Amino acid sequence: MSKLDDLFEAMAKSIIDGNSQAAGDLARQAIARGIAPMDSINHGFVVGINQVGANFSAGVAYIPDLVLAGAAMKAAMEVLEPELEKGDTARDPLGVVVLATVEGDVHDIGKNIVGTMLSASGFEVHDLGVDVPIEQIVEKTRELKADIVAASALLTTTMVKQEDVIAALERAGLRSTVKIMVGGAPVTRDWADRIGADGYSEDAVGAVHLAKQLMGIH
Amino acid sequence: MDTKQLYQERLTRYVTANYNEKPDRIPLRIFAEEFSSKYCGYTNFQVAVQQELQFDVNRRFAVEAGIDAIQTNSVVNWFGMQKALGWEGITFPGIGIPVDSINQWWEPTTENNAFMKATEYDELIDDPTAFLVNKWMPRFTRHIKHPGEPSTFEQNMSLINGIMAYNHFFSTWGAKHAALIEAGIVPAVSSVLKAPLDILGDKLRGYINLCYDLNQRRDKVIEACEALMPHLASVVMGGADPSGQIPSIIWMHRGAVPFISHKDFDEIYWPTLKAIVEELWARGSQIIFYAEGNWDHHLEAFNELPEKSMIFHCDRTDIFKAHEILGKKFCISGGVPNVMLAKGTPQEVKARCKEIVDGVAQDGGYIMDASALIMNDARVENVMAMIEFIKEYGIYDSGVSTKSLEELTGVDHPQIPDSLLTRDHKRPPGVVFPWAEKRKELPAYIEDEALTRSVWEQIDRMGYNFCWVNLTW
Repeated sequence: MSKLDDLFEAMAKSIIDGNSQAAGDLARQAIARGIAPMDSINHGFVVGINQVGANFSAGVAYIPDLVLAGAAMKAAMEVLEPELEKGDTARDPLGVVVLATVEGDVHDIGKNIVGTMLSASGFEVHDLGVDVPIEQIVEKTRELKADIVAASALLTTTMVKQEDVIAALERAGLRSTVKIMVGGAPVTRDWADRIGADGYSEDAVGAVHLAKQLMGIH
Repeated sequence: MDTKQLYQERLTRYVTANYNEKPDRIPLRIFAEEFSSKYCGYTNFQVAVQQELQFDVNRRFAVEAGIDAIQTNSVVNWFGMQKALGWEGITFPGIGIPVDSINQWWEPTTENNAFMKATEYDELIDDPTAFLVNKWMPRFTRHIKHPGEPSTFEQNMSLINGIMAYNHFFSTWGAKHAALIEAGIVPAVSSVLKAPLDILGDKLRGYINLCYDLNQRRDKVIEACEALMPHLASVVMGGADPSGQIPSIIWMHRGAVPFISHKDFDEIYWPTLKAIVEELWARGSQIIFYAEGNWDHHLEAFNELPEKSMIFHCDRTDIFKAHEILGKKFCISGGVPNVMLAKGTPQEVKARCKEIVDGVAQDGGYIMDASALIMNDARVENVMAMIEFIKEYGIYDSGVSTKSLEELTGVDHPQIPDSLLTRDHKRPPGVVFPWAEKRKELPAYIEDEALTRSVWEQIDRMGYNFCWVNLTW
């Protein structure tokens, strides 16, 4: 294996281990060695994120591993993004996502982990926070020409708002331009189908797979 | 039948099932939270701010629906008490969030907003009670200051108002508890517990920060859980029903895979919880494992507990799997999905109830309830369908236990060699300022020192409870 391969492997490992310090250091090393930032991202760090996702799906990694992997990815990107801008290249996002916890609901931990994983996997995520009015979700979708709206709810009493989000996007003439995914503890596939969402995921890793699927990415 | 007889009949039914025997009928122990408010025609806001309503709506729903047991107060969070003290971690419906939303908890998500910092594990471990007062309360509330900071008028009044409101809340609780019994309804639970790791996640570090701690300072997490154990044990044991008839309850949050790893469960969550449950049982009290979410991975571990010591409540856990693994030793409850009660039809609800009864209740040891606390989105006709179905289909026509309450609760309670409460502690559970210290500030002459001491220890225990009940809330 070449030294370059060793470096990429170490980058992936830093994500799998959730080691933000190492991720940042390796990103800086790569820059110092003249390695293109996109190569570090695509052959190193994203390989790590994908492996963490696979480990989670296989039941050998857990939510804390996702949290730390997301933080490590963020540490790497904080070093690499300025280099991308200098070189006048940008990481082409896989898609633009508007993410929110619906109106009346202030829970956000699951949503935040989904946002972290989507971002780490290459999506441009606009997290509107919690208790987000429907009109704000619609406006942001229009403004950003979002590809995906991801609506989270943790309560059976607030998950009805996911249906209202879909209806509001229809009224705004945006429904056909955007894919809608829903999630949160009480949400089920049946519910997602019932309200006309394009997809549902039980967890953050599934959310990444779903988002890629909705964007036609394999 | 008068309400005294009705109460005895319902109590016997409830205790029989809790002790995994076959009662005359499957008990209806309904954890109705905001649903009771809706049933009685109140908004969640009205009930959140008017404390007495919280008790009254539960009692009225229980009496009119003819169920067996309900919590004396399911909503529990009262604007008057928590905002008097200035709790920052909770929102109330109709105050900043929609009027028919529910009480929602906020928890720290970054190191900056953590109620306990990563560098403070040793301080917590050394003296948990002092940590609560000196560090936790000032961060968890709006006005309370850290020692050394200048005291303020707002701080002093916040403490005075908060403690007055707390005392009012619990005095009212006592009266309403008696009113519930007088109305013929069994109060479903006595004292409350949370697992040490859930306390760290919910109230001290926040779950996200805890994720880092499990990776970066795991030894400290374990020590912190061990330091919390005696105090959480003291609170749950202190409020437990001495007769053994009414179980305590533990709200189990994020101790299940994948919120934590199997290793974290095996080495941290479970051992630091199991010891409390075993000691509670040794002292005569059962506990309801209100296992929120899916605990399928951990049923074998729960099966390690002494027989009849626990009632396992199913939220997203597979109730049939729970029955298969736990049913020989323990009562099971729950299993009717809240989404079905909110969005389904009475026919679907009845079909689900039948499925559960046929699958897990044939030999007794089952209690009917929804999967999770029933909120105001549940349709009244669906909840009533669940209740009415069980009143007919849940009757046992053979093999009904004839054991008295004394016989049921008089089962073997294996004793434990080493109490959590009497181990060596810098500041023991149940005590803030021991008599030896208090004595120094009093005059040399005391007419009856033993009597005075006992009064002081009562007061000191109240102060201790204030700190720890707030944390466990």
